[in-house]
Amino acid sequence: MNERQKHIRNFCIVAHIDHGKSTLADRLIEQTGTIAKRDITEQMLDSMDLERERGITIKLTPTRMKYIFDGEEYILNLIDTPGHVDFSYEVSRSLAACEGAILIVDASQGVEAQTLANVHLALENKLEILPVINKIDLPSAEPEKVKQEIEDVIGIPAMNAPCISAKEGINISQVLESIICEFPHPNGDENAPLKALIFDSYYDNFKGAVCLVRVFDGSVKIGDMIKFMQTGSVFDVTEVGYFMPRPTPCEELLTGEVGYICASIKKISDAKVGDTVTFAENPAKEALAGYKQVQPVVFSGIFPVDGSKYAELKDALEKLKLNDSSLLYQPETSTALGFGFRCGFLGLLHMEIIQERLEREFNLDIITTAPGVSYKVYLYNGDMIEVSNPSNLPEVGNINYIQEPFVNMHIFTPPEYVGTIMDLCQSRRGEEGNVTYLDTSRVRLDYKIPLNEIIYDFFDSLKSRTKGYASMDYELSEYRTSKLVKLDILLKGEVCDALSLIVHADSAYNRGKIIADKLKDVIPRQMFEVPIQAAIGGKIIARETVKALRKDVLSKCYGGDITRKRKLLEKQKEGKKKMRSLGSVQVPSDAFVSILKID
Amino acid sequence: MEMAWGGNPFEKEKQMSLYIHIPFCNSKCAYCNFISFENNDKQIPKYLDALYEEIDERGKEYKDYKITTIYIGGGTPSILPEGEVDELMQFIRSRFTILYDESVTIEANPKSLTKEKAKEYFNAGINRISLGLQTDNPSLLKLLNRPHNYEDFEKAVEYAKSAGFSDINADILLGIPNQTLRDVKITLDKLIKLPITHISAYGLILEKGTPISKSIDTGKLKICNEDLANKMYDYTVKRLNEAGFYRYEISNFAKESYASKHNLNYWNRGEYLGLGLASHSFVNAEHWHNTENLQKYLKNPSDCKEDIEKQTLKTAKQETIMLSLRTEAGLDIREFNREFDANFMQDYKMQIKSLLEANLITIQDLVVTINDFNVSNAIIEEFF
Repeated sequence: MNERQKHIRNFCIVAHIDHGKSTLADRLIEQTGTIAKRDITEQMLDSMDLERERGITIKLTPTRMKYIFDGEEYILNLIDTPGHVDFSYEVSRSLAACEGAILIVDASQGVEAQTLANVHLALENKLEILPVINKIDLPSAEPEKVKQEIEDVIGIPAMNAPCISAKEGINISQVLESIICEFPHPNGDENAPLKALIFDSYYDNFKGAVCLVRVFDGSVKIGDMIKFMQTGSVFDVTEVGYFMPRPTPCEELLTGEVGYICASIKKISDAKVGDTVTFAENPAKEALAGYKQVQPVVFSGIFPVDGSKYAELKDALEKLKLNDSSLLYQPETSTALGFGFRCGFLGLLHMEIIQERLEREFNLDIITTAPGVSYKVYLYNGDMIEVSNPSNLPEVGNINYIQEPFVNMHIFTPPEYVGTIMDLCQSRRGEEGNVTYLDTSRVRLDYKIPLNEIIYDFFDSLKSRTKGYASMDYELSEYRTSKLVKLDILLKGEVCDALSLIVHADSAYNRGKIIADKLKDVIPRQMFEVPIQAAIGGKIIARETVKALRKDVLSKCYGGDITRKRKLLEKQKEGKKKMRSLGSVQVPSDAFVSILKID
Repeated sequence: MEMAWGGNPFEKEKQMSLYIHIPFCNSKCAYCNFISFENNDKQIPKYLDALYEEIDERGKEYKDYKITTIYIGGGTPSILPEGEVDELMQFIRSRFTILYDESVTIEANPKSLTKEKAKEYFNAGINRISLGLQTDNPSLLKLLNRPHNYEDFEKAVEYAKSAGFSDINADILLGIPNQTLRDVKITLDKLIKLPITHISAYGLILEKGTPISKSIDTGKLKICNEDLANKMYDYTVKRLNEAGFYRYEISNFAKESYASKHNLNYWNRGEYLGLGLASHSFVNAEHWHNTENLQKYLKNPSDCKEDIEKQTLKTAKQETIMLSLRTEAGLDIREFNREFDANFMQDYKMQIKSLLEANLITIQDLVVTINDFNVSNAIIEEFF
């Protein structure tokens, strides 16, 4: 075993939102003398605002730091992870590239939903976990209590955990030393054929797809002919290097190291996260474990408001996919909305980011239909089809039963909100699991709940009912059979396919009423009456009417009114352009999603 | 960026209307959001000085123009001290070239119009007078904070008539909170009996910040229900028609030959020059207005233009459509095509089709007219 590998540590930092991950990362980088600057990849730059609003940090590129301890120089590679449950596959691959994980816990907040979720992921990937208690500078900090909580709830030793304040720069060296002392070093075979894990990638306009890799066995250098084991594609390496944090080319990436490989890869879909890189000639015998085809979880239809902008939308989606291989889409036609795309996302956040980018970066006016999940529809003839567009649900007569995806949800909350949370989960067909009192101030609630009940406003509802104190996390569980029906909405007697929803039979009537009511407020008055009807299988279950516009007149228009009035009409017309004509009814683009609001 | 469009490159006979603003009132009506001030004894002379300065300057600037109509509006022009209007008219005539058969209107308030003033106006060459009645119902007048009663109005009409005026307009309001259809009927019946040649019937517009608007927001007053407002309008049209007043624009009714030439100029997208505080102008394909700030105006009356906007082909078309469709005469398609080098029926094919189908417009002899003025805004918007 080469001495060199003994002096490498590959680790990441996991935490619940706002517990101090970025600040600690910044401190570590500063203290090791690496240039302290957040290197932001282009793809992240433009979604910054949205991510900030959601409390997600911008990803760091894996940063190589040098630290001298006990007279010896060590290389510390910090790999950053996206903080959101939508991207858990990517998180897991980033973890797989490490040997250790620093678990940051806020000394005043304690263990929270994502703390747990991330720890489990880290344990699954057999990482050594180093708890670090942060924010000890806060008056409400209770480090000893939190240490105990970690031991009780997570089950890892925490009594000797470094207590730090990343913000104030207290005890950072303790963290660095613990990294060196507690985390194992890589232990790969330097003479074996190359085996490297792609744990991330991004697209560079000049270099093509840049693969962020962890070299497990062997080494790689410029000129090597490499093969990606899952896709089978072969490329010639044009550049290798590491991040300090700027990309710094080098001669060779050696066993145990973390860095990047460029090989004139034209499509990012060729550089799949989780894939194994090896040599084209004399490849490794087995690929690294853990590779998964990314599966979308949430689906919605995206249509251009102006039908003639279809090509622009297509182009925009293609460009977005360049840097986001988890975005899936295919052309779709709606009787109501014309030509568009059915898109699959990793989750609601992912969907919102894509929507925002389409609107902001590409300047497109789009209509997004209500986000939904994918159902497994079992027909009487034995076939099973997957349906993610409610309009594609087969005839009721042919359906034997329908299955929907369920999730295991974990909610952390102060005890006084337990009641209201239980009400919320129950109203969403949640099946109560364990209720664990972690300590006097925190309870953990486990629920099994249908995914389609939480994809829209569950999180917001949870936050508002608990004044923001509760946190939640979930993972996909299994598909279960449920009594599901298709709820149709008719405008002026015609079914508007873009408004159809798949809902549970028990709540269908109520939902129909709520939606009809909502639409009555959202659809502006037109020159004729607009009857709104909710129907299940042809049977009308709710009805509302938007009265016809009968008075819209400007009684005075003289010299001083002309410009003002002209501008006002122009503005109103612009507003109308954001509407979509369904049959002859003008419907604002956000009506399609607004119908999902339950609370 | 849209190109500027319009103007008169060939220097044909240039004509325009003049509007003069007198921004002073003795009291503010509850619905008014015009630029006007109360308690003015000191301000009025200063204002007139500034106004004369502006008139002098503009007269030079526009010496090539012939003035077709003049309108003295406000505020309340009739609160100007005796003799001032006469002087003003003389000064205007000395600085501008007025066409022979001009129309000159002055707005007057029934309370402030005295027998003497009426005579003064007529002798100064004003040939049309516009009096604000709004309603004959005393409690409604109080609600509106009008300073007069119906008898004052009748007297004012009498003074105007005996001073020599044959062209008299009355302004009335429809849709006043608490107003009933019967109120409207009574007001119209009374008006018809008087020697009035023109009636402007306006639907009350609730402007933000006005006392009446605030009362509605706080719930003290209830807004006039939409259907009732429509009924009032429809009834007014019918009743006035019977009495020989023909609706020639959304809110304007006139006996034969008494349509307001000054206002028709607006609706034909003609040129007009505004004089005085906050007045609006449209000359040589440019829109602008004078400052609304009294001190600024007093300081620099000849150079206080704001919001100058050059006309583009797009805005010109929008205005033409917006203004002509307000009138009974409608939009002349041939004129439109000629002026804008356009093909109206083609360019607006979709809208025309759906509006015709919904029976909201009529196209006859290449003229487009709106069938129901009550939804005229929504119709006009289709063409934007």
